[in-house]
Amino acid sequence: MSETTQAEAERTDAETAPDQPLETTSGETEEQVREEWREYAFDGRTKLAAEDLDVHYSDDHALKGVSIEIPENSVTALIGPSGCGKSTFLRCLNRMNDRIRSARVDGSVRIDGEEIYQDGVNLVELRKRVGMVFQSPNPFPKSIRENISYGPEKHGDLQTGLLARLLDRSDEDEREQLVERCLRDAALWDEVNDRLDDNALGLSGGQQQRLCIARCLSVDPEVILMDEPASALDPIATAKIEDLIDQLSEEYTVVIVTHNMQQAARISDQTAVFLTGGELVEYGDTDQVFENPHSERVEDYITGKFG
Amino acid sequence: MAGATRTNLVKGDTSEANAVAAVAVAVAALLFALSLAALFELVTISDPVGGVPVVTLLGLILAALGGAVITFGVGSFLSYVETQPSPSAGLVATTALSGVWFTVGGLVASQTLGLGGLTWLPVALLAGGGAFALTALPREDIGSTLPAGALTLLTGLVFITGTIGPAWVWELGFQQQASFTAEFVIPTATLFAALLSGWAAAKAYGGFGARGRHMGAYVLIYLNASSIVGVLFVLVAFTAMKGIPGLLNGARVGLGVGPAVGPVALPVSVPFVMNGAGLFAEVKGVLPAIVGTIWLVVGAVLFAVPLGVGAAIFLTEYAERGRLTQVVEVATNGLWSTPSIVFGLFGFAFLVPRFGGNKSLISGMLTLGFMLLPLVLITSREAIIAVPDEYRDASAALGVSRWQTIRSVVIPAALPGVVTGIILGVGRIAGETAPILLTMTGGTFISGGQTVDVIGGFRFTTSPPFVANPELLEATTALPFQLFALIKAGVGLGDNVASPEQFQWATALMLLVVVLSFYAIGIGARYYFRRRLNHE
Repeated sequence: MSETTQAEAERTDAETAPDQPLETTSGETEEQVREEWREYAFDGRTKLAAEDLDVHYSDDHALKGVSIEIPENSVTALIGPSGCGKSTFLRCLNRMNDRIRSARVDGSVRIDGEEIYQDGVNLVELRKRVGMVFQSPNPFPKSIRENISYGPEKHGDLQTGLLARLLDRSDEDEREQLVERCLRDAALWDEVNDRLDDNALGLSGGQQQRLCIARCLSVDPEVILMDEPASALDPIATAKIEDLIDQLSEEYTVVIVTHNMQQAARISDQTAVFLTGGELVEYGDTDQVFENPHSERVEDYITGKFG
Repeated sequence: MAGATRTNLVKGDTSEANAVAAVAVAVAALLFALSLAALFELVTISDPVGGVPVVTLLGLILAALGGAVITFGVGSFLSYVETQPSPSAGLVATTALSGVWFTVGGLVASQTLGLGGLTWLPVALLAGGGAFALTALPREDIGSTLPAGALTLLTGLVFITGTIGPAWVWELGFQQQASFTAEFVIPTATLFAALLSGWAAAKAYGGFGARGRHMGAYVLIYLNASSIVGVLFVLVAFTAMKGIPGLLNGARVGLGVGPAVGPVALPVSVPFVMNGAGLFAEVKGVLPAIVGTIWLVVGAVLFAVPLGVGAAIFLTEYAERGRLTQVVEVATNGLWSTPSIVFGLFGFAFLVPRFGGNKSLISGMLTLGFMLLPLVLITSREAIIAVPDEYRDASAALGVSRWQTIRSVVIPAALPGVVTGIILGVGRIAGETAPILLTMTGGTFISGGQTVDVIGGFRFTTSPPFVANPELLEATTALPFQLFALIKAGVGLGDNVASPEQFQWATALMLLVVVLSFYAIGIGARYYFRRRLNHE
């Protein structure tokens, strides 16, 4: 185990010559490819930056030395076969891995240049800034309205309790505006505006997922992480979610994990390919990654020769 | 069997035979219900119905049923009826039927034929072996109908011929002179015969094979389930019938006849419920015991629920799964299995001396609270574990703290389960006699004026501890204890109550009503929380 870690560390080191140069499509070694995407330049500001990120689950090395920079107000797709660490990587970005007791994270993740893996990080603030949408829709067993206002109410940004009403400090109007704004942003308002008090579990799967996106927007995040948000949905609901992601990228930085390569090609601005073993193998403009990948392994994966 | 064009998908026109089998199933179900009723003495077996004694009637029905089952089996074997039987009736049916026939053979040999010594054994073996061969060897249509139908037929014949009549008694010859009377044996035999032939008839109705087995199992399970409902109903109805005369003793309805509640007098007067057992009370009642029971349960719930739910939250949401949680788990399960008299002794030795040395209401409340605690903890834990992790993830991803998540998402989702636990626990503690006997109860006959008044008992003082409640520190009574004292210990019967038996049954009925009321409240609460969770 420690030997492989050693080997990884050596390989990510730019100065060390690789022991086994791997052939790639353009005749370069994999190390050179790695350098190339590392220097992948994009227009705009860096929102998220990970550096030498390693994750262990007990003895399992799930993520190996991942370094990546994600630009602001864009859609970044993370693709790769099952178990390649893309979800693990996503959960590092808002420290959801803290909730798994056996997980250990080494390395650095910065949001707007601020390190999130250091002492004294306010997890409440971090998760308000970096929201998350999960694979299966998971609305609370509450009304649609309560689902949206849950986050702001718990953060104290909205006062709607009995005491607030008694003291005449109730933010009922603000709450209504917030609910409408979030539902409109999530393209759900027209479908549910007449039944905001109904239980959210009564919505269809696609509506539930858009409600989860609306709930995520309610705390005014800067980054939205999506973990295969459309994998449990039918094609029509998926198309709606994809349109929504496209709109969201104007205001938010979206990072999306997907199994569906067509989906990644359709919606993302840049794509990162993880391959088995928890390595980030290629990262670049989506068009370039899909049409002209540098790495042979990535090309095999994309063309379906290797899963 | 019939021809090459026959398919198993659509049944041929065997509707008449099927109707016979269906009628046989219905008759078996009817017999099952009748025998249960006879077992609970709702029907007397020696009474004549239309000039024929019930016993003979039962015998005739049984014989007809057995004959029908056998006829169907033979008819199916001879291909008069279209069925899809398996090659054999199966191991379970074989074992059960040969066991039954072994017993029947032995009983007939030793009791009816009066063979002494061990001579019953060969007869029993012969009967059992015969049934084994008859069930296991032939095809399923013969194997499952013939032994069952023959047994039913035999039982019917025994009843018709009067071999076992209403006056029949089987002396077991033990020292306590235990004996089986006809009142017990006839319904029991009918019950088993009805179950067996009902099963066989249901198999026949389904045309044997996989579908027939399904039908047979369905009938058995259905009869079982409905007999549980039946037993519960009989129990409640029996108590109610016995208790209602005493309960309504001296009851009046009319303007202003009842006791005053504030400025208004109630328009109903039920002295048994509204009076104590005072010397001058015209009709003695159990009001102090009813109130005592209610306060007891309320106190125990108020004590146990916050502790139990709090511990469950800590163990599931905060404590890491390890040695500590395992120890707590084992200890809780052990505590739940602890006999109630041990709790009573603990209360008597530990709590009573700490609350003034006398038996007191609060000692009883705490003792029952300790008894309730483990069940509340266990069920709350299960309910909290069952809340999907997705809710917790979603809440955490919004940056909501763990405690706020527990309070606003986890607990509301777990509440129906928690309430179920409380219902079960209250059902147990409300009827407990032993613990309160040792910790709480004073006299059996308490006058209405001494009814415990917990709310009115609070006294506020200007010096610490600022509040005192002498009512909590006094002995009182409760329904289970009252019932125990009345029946078992025979306290004060005769002098205090005009009709002791009526009084006892009415007390039992009141206990049942109080416990079932708590149940109803609990079920209502669970329904409410569930609705709020699912529909809003």
